[in-house]
Amino acid sequence: MKKGIFQEFEGYSKIVEEIEASRRYGIDYSVDKDSPEQYINLLHPPRLELRVSDIIQETPSAKTLRLVSTNQYLPPFQAGQYIGLFLEIGKIRTTRPYSISSAPNQTGYYDITVRRVEGGLVSNYLLDDVESGHILQSSGPAGNFYFNPLFHKKTMVCLAGGSGITPFMSMIREVVECGLDRNIYLFYGNKDLDDIIFHETLKAISERSENIHYLPVIENPAEGYQGHSGLITGSLIRETLDHLEDKTFYLCGPQEMYEFCIPELEKLGIPKRKIRKEAYGPPARISDYPGWPQEIKAEDLFTIKVDGHKTLKGSAGEPLMVTLEQAGIVVPSLCRSGECSICRVKILSGKVFQPPGTLVRKSDNQFGYVHSCVSYPLEDLEVLI
Amino acid sequence: MEGYDVVVIGAGNGGLTASAGLAQKGFNVLLLERHNVPGGCATSFCRGRFEFEVALHQLSGMGTPEKPGPLRMMLDNLGVLDDLEFVEMDDLYHVAMPDGFRLTLKTSKDQVISELQEMFPHEKESIERFFDLVYSYANQMLAAFYFKDPDASREKYPLLYSHAFKPAIDVLDELFSDPLLKAVVSVYWGFLGLPPTRLSFAYLAMLFFVFIEFKPFHLKGGSQALSNGLINRFLSSGGTVRFNCGAKKIIVEDGAVKGVITEDGDHIPANHVIANASQVSTYVQLIDPENVPNETLREMRGRTLSPSAFVMFVGFDCEASQLGITDSTTFLMANTDITDRNLNRMQRLDIDDELMVLSCYDVADPDFSPPGTCQANIVTLKYGDPWLRVPPSDYHRVKYRCGEAMLRRVEDIFPDVRKHIEELEVATPLTHMRYLGHPNGAIYGFEQYTKDSLFFQPGRFSPIGGLYFASGWTGDCGFQSTLEAGLSAANSIIKKPNL
Repeated sequence: MKKGIFQEFEGYSKIVEEIEASRRYGIDYSVDKDSPEQYINLLHPPRLELRVSDIIQETPSAKTLRLVSTNQYLPPFQAGQYIGLFLEIGKIRTTRPYSISSAPNQTGYYDITVRRVEGGLVSNYLLDDVESGHILQSSGPAGNFYFNPLFHKKTMVCLAGGSGITPFMSMIREVVECGLDRNIYLFYGNKDLDDIIFHETLKAISERSENIHYLPVIENPAEGYQGHSGLITGSLIRETLDHLEDKTFYLCGPQEMYEFCIPELEKLGIPKRKIRKEAYGPPARISDYPGWPQEIKAEDLFTIKVDGHKTLKGSAGEPLMVTLEQAGIVVPSLCRSGECSICRVKILSGKVFQPPGTLVRKSDNQFGYVHSCVSYPLEDLEVLI
Repeated sequence: MEGYDVVVIGAGNGGLTASAGLAQKGFNVLLLERHNVPGGCATSFCRGRFEFEVALHQLSGMGTPEKPGPLRMMLDNLGVLDDLEFVEMDDLYHVAMPDGFRLTLKTSKDQVISELQEMFPHEKESIERFFDLVYSYANQMLAAFYFKDPDASREKYPLLYSHAFKPAIDVLDELFSDPLLKAVVSVYWGFLGLPPTRLSFAYLAMLFFVFIEFKPFHLKGGSQALSNGLINRFLSSGGTVRFNCGAKKIIVEDGAVKGVITEDGDHIPANHVIANASQVSTYVQLIDPENVPNETLREMRGRTLSPSAFVMFVGFDCEASQLGITDSTTFLMANTDITDRNLNRMQRLDIDDELMVLSCYDVADPDFSPPGTCQANIVTLKYGDPWLRVPPSDYHRVKYRCGEAMLRRVEDIFPDVRKHIEELEVATPLTHMRYLGHPNGAIYGFEQYTKDSLFFQPGRFSPIGGLYFASGWTGDCGFQSTLEAGLSAANSIIKKPNL
């Protein structure tokens, strides 16, 4: 112990006694050295090793991959959350988020449901190359798209587009299987009838469950189709629901759906706080995005200098992260939609376009940090990873 | 692999100022951070249109440009002041009880005294005496330790000798009889983690003194702005930072640091390491057991872990005034109990009648949240152990149950809050454990017991040559202290001869 005047302070000797007693009866930190991490790993493992136990053909273009844990443990999740798959396809190391479509009470496996994206690197790989028994690596469950009992309403109005059905499938299964005191209206938009994932399952559930209402909406139905057609409009929602006040609205689907449906909800007077939307990947055609500088074309090429790596060429229409991944430079990523901030990098020089609404911290903006998953080069760049 | 003069493990407050301070003096520094964002506790996260502040409630030690406090001077020396914008808060705190009791203390000493005297006229003189005591104690403490008086003595600094180790409760009981007044005057314990029965008067006095003399401050952009500003300075001074890369091992040979092995497996030669990580993980996980002196483990065994916290981050779709929130810092006090029973409350999983603090940054800084909205950060201190007994499959249910109880407590004071919630996120002691890597999610490191204070503990020093510590674990907690701890550690290396 150091020497000093404090040794003459009143109460000093009592504290010295206290220290001696604490050393005798205190915590031996060296014995349970790994316990905090071990516990946290049960909730938030940095990595999961999953085996494809089953593949279920849902529609001509969609399959469900049933994933079991190779160590027999799957962390709990909240219905609506996703896992990020860590993949190596050809020479490219990348990640993709997939909402879990099975219910949280199903602790034996996670289902993810994948629909083919034309020219999609990952969806084509998962649909064509992955077979039962295949081992996949993933993140633990993540994401903020779930029912929050602290302020969400008991009646959920879910607007799904295409493969955006997956988080709702998990929510509906949980509500039904666990007998939760909640009502769900599901408006499910698809191009045509063949595209609907889980159509039969949803029909069956809604027929036998009073609190689940299933409303498929077909954009281009065949002639004579009896159901709802066109888009999910405000008037369809208003006609279907008695009251709008006691409900929370959830959206999951492509950017175009948000651009159409959110104004429809706002026109109905639904306040922002009752509208929840899931991240759904980068916009399909960024150069059509509101605010995109007209003088730049998607195919314009820029030089990207990465600190400590080689210099690359990247096109304006491609997210910076994709350009990096294709060059073998790995930036950690998770949501790939501009929300989770895992892929944050610093732009040392040059300008990028980030779609308005990207969740970037104010001071990250000030100091030049961007989310590389939704950053598009508008000039030659220098990047610090 | 390239060597460095110093490897700093962790980009929390202490790690950031240590790195920035060393790089500024021309040292070749590698900063390792296992997350992708600098700051540790000093960070923020986005949900919907809100950016939530994680840890900073009231920044102490800033002072004004005219009367700069120690922290302002330090940030100025590091060259980050111009990148940041500070806003003075005009209240120390507001106390609200469900029975309708409300009291705001402004930030000047005279106002604090007169507001208390108006509310507690029967204790008028004692209130005056209490603040005289706070000031006299603080001045004696600063003269002896901050200005390092070589002739300090009991005769010169009688209050320092009599009060430094005295529990706050003794002073409160000597001076006051009204239990409500005692609770209101000592309510800052809710920021320190120990009830007045255990907290020394010294901590309470110094906290009042610095907040009244140098005022509480808010930082535009929140604590992340400070973390980003420090990293920016560090990089422009030639420092190297690796995000998403923690340290796996500190190599020790013949009792001295020789280098660090990163999580990626890189071997980095270095003769100095500053651990912003806790002593616990540094000695137990990063250094091979044969290199850790028994005396160090014995010493650590005597130290108590601080509480963690249960925190709710709420974004509202209306302005603070519409909810009835008038002050930046509101203590929600369910009762006037300041006894050891508060330790039991913190040891309990569920939330009921504990002391809470609600910070609404938009009161001082209307630009903090988007126009027409505001946010609140609501905290109550909780020990981590009960959360380790929650089965993982029950975790979300328990988290919501506690969140619901906390929200009800807020509704007791601000009845309309639930109608306006747009975003809400909950952090439990396990969340803190996950992001900070601290045992039991202890947010302050070791407890603020006098036995765990710098007088009695090794602070930044280690018996292992070249190893220093810089964090809340080395002594006092809070932003000012941890930022200062980093520079102290840096100075220990800078001032070393023959380097």
